[in-house]
Amino acid sequence: MQESNHPTKRSAPPDNELLRLVFESATDFAIFTTDPNGITTSWNPGAERLLGYKTDEILGKSADAIFPTEEGGFEAAAEERRSALAQGRAEDERWQMRKDGTRLWASGLLMPLADRDAGFVKMLRDRTSQHRAAEQLAQSEELFRVLATNIPQLVFRSKGDGERIWASPQWTIFSGLSFAASIGLGWLDAIHPDDRKETQAAWLEARAKGEYYVEHRVRRSADGEFRWHQTRAVPMKVSSDADAVDWVGTMTDIHELRMLQDRQKVLLAELQHRRRNLLGVVQSLARQTIRSSPSLDDFADDFESRLGALSRAQGLLAQSDNRPIELGDLVRAELEAHASADAGKVMTEGPAAPLPAISAQSMALALHELATNAVKYGALGQPSGRLMVRWEVKNDRSRRQAIVVWRESGVAMPEGGPARKGYGSELIERALPYQLGAKTKLRFEPDGVHCEIAVPLASEEKRDD
Amino acid sequence: MVELSGARALLVEDEGLVALMLEDMLEELGLKVVASAAHLPKACELATTASFDVALLDVNLAGQFVFPVAHILRARKIPFLFSTGYGGPPLEEEFRNTPAIGKPFSIDQLEEKLRTLLPRP
Repeated sequence: MQESNHPTKRSAPPDNELLRLVFESATDFAIFTTDPNGITTSWNPGAERLLGYKTDEILGKSADAIFPTEEGGFEAAAEERRSALAQGRAEDERWQMRKDGTRLWASGLLMPLADRDAGFVKMLRDRTSQHRAAEQLAQSEELFRVLATNIPQLVFRSKGDGERIWASPQWTIFSGLSFAASIGLGWLDAIHPDDRKETQAAWLEARAKGEYYVEHRVRRSADGEFRWHQTRAVPMKVSSDADAVDWVGTMTDIHELRMLQDRQKVLLAELQHRRRNLLGVVQSLARQTIRSSPSLDDFADDFESRLGALSRAQGLLAQSDNRPIELGDLVRAELEAHASADAGKVMTEGPAAPLPAISAQSMALALHELATNAVKYGALGQPSGRLMVRWEVKNDRSRRQAIVVWRESGVAMPEGGPARKGYGSELIERALPYQLGAKTKLRFEPDGVHCEIAVPLASEEKRDD
Repeated sequence: MVELSGARALLVEDEGLVALMLEDMLEELGLKVVASAAHLPKACELATTASFDVALLDVNLAGQFVFPVAHILRARKIPFLFSTGYGGPPLEEEFRNTPAIGKPFSIDQLEEKLRTLLPRP
């Protein structure tokens, strides 16, 4: 037995006055002694404060109660004593338990007293707040690591001049540049050569603005494509020395967004172009109408009716979203606008024939001129007049075209034919061939107008044009 | 005064009705339209082969830019004027400083622009 091997001068707890003062006044430290089995033999004010037991509550009782069960309870306390005996001291940091059951993180030292039979002295220091802070730091570092390595953005840390000290794995995967190749200014190798100047210049402005921002192209190693990225960084506000502050930044792939924006710019320009073109057409209608109008009233009538045709064509185009328009729709819209209520006078016939959107307006205006003319002088204005509009689709070699035949009959033509070639003739005989590559024939037969227009159709593959 | 009268013109414009009007305008100003095209391939061909003193080029030909024609004319040292539907100079950086006229324009505006293009006799 140990006790018989070490007989026995029982040494009391510190009896020296100086030691007693230390013992009493060290309120930041819990200092207590126990007998060899852990029964409390002394308990200082610091122990009262840190552990919650009054001296008279604990004296003569086991101090092992301060070991919570999750830390091993009495077993851990006994183990600590064995270890202290074997090593001469046992030091640890662990959770201990107060009287009220709450935990404190303590760094502790257990030493056998010089007279081993007298037991042990234990000193504990409360490190709870430091421990929590360290835990929080570890947690926030872990949070940063998880975020930085799992978000789709490429994350980096750098000095205030853009020299990188860390880059996330995604950066290496995206750019193909290893960690070692990326640090310092090595990462610039992945930036498009045309964007490098701006990329570096932005670092010069960043410190004054407190934020780094640039949009630049970054090379994707997988396929070599330079993809637009938005790169931002902010300083980490942990140091008062501005030069020493590290910056944390992200690079976000905004390539699709940029492409959409570019496409939108093109569409806007196209819209602007079409609007201006339409104004040009209106201007042209006005000028040509003035030339053929004997009076202002004539001008007003003809101009309004031509604007009407233009607006019907625009309406059909808007409905079709600028996809091809059925020739039949165009023909019927124009004839209906001329209110030939007597259905027996007019016959239209033809198969599906998709007219490219770009041709619709001129065709509509040409049909309008024919119809207006028919109302004024021809089949739609005379009781015996008849109008037949037929079309067929022909495929020859690479092109499809519609042959439209406008045939009036039963018309008493004015003596000597039309006085002069009007706007309609000019449109049909010159503008259509010029713009649409159409082949046209316009004849004033003895019984009415005969017009043939061969116009290219939208090809099957290009129906989306 | 710069002499417009008798100058030969190439007209490139995709909208048939507008082309008719521009031809009228040019002829009213005394020019003679000796060649015209609504589409890029034909415009390039005419720009290469035809003889003329000045050209009026619509920037957007049914969705295609007219710039190849402009390159040919520049090589041949034939002056040209862009007509643009974009309300500003051509979008192409290279031609930012080339004379341009925004559609729609009046015959007086056209005359003024043409006078700056043609050499004084």
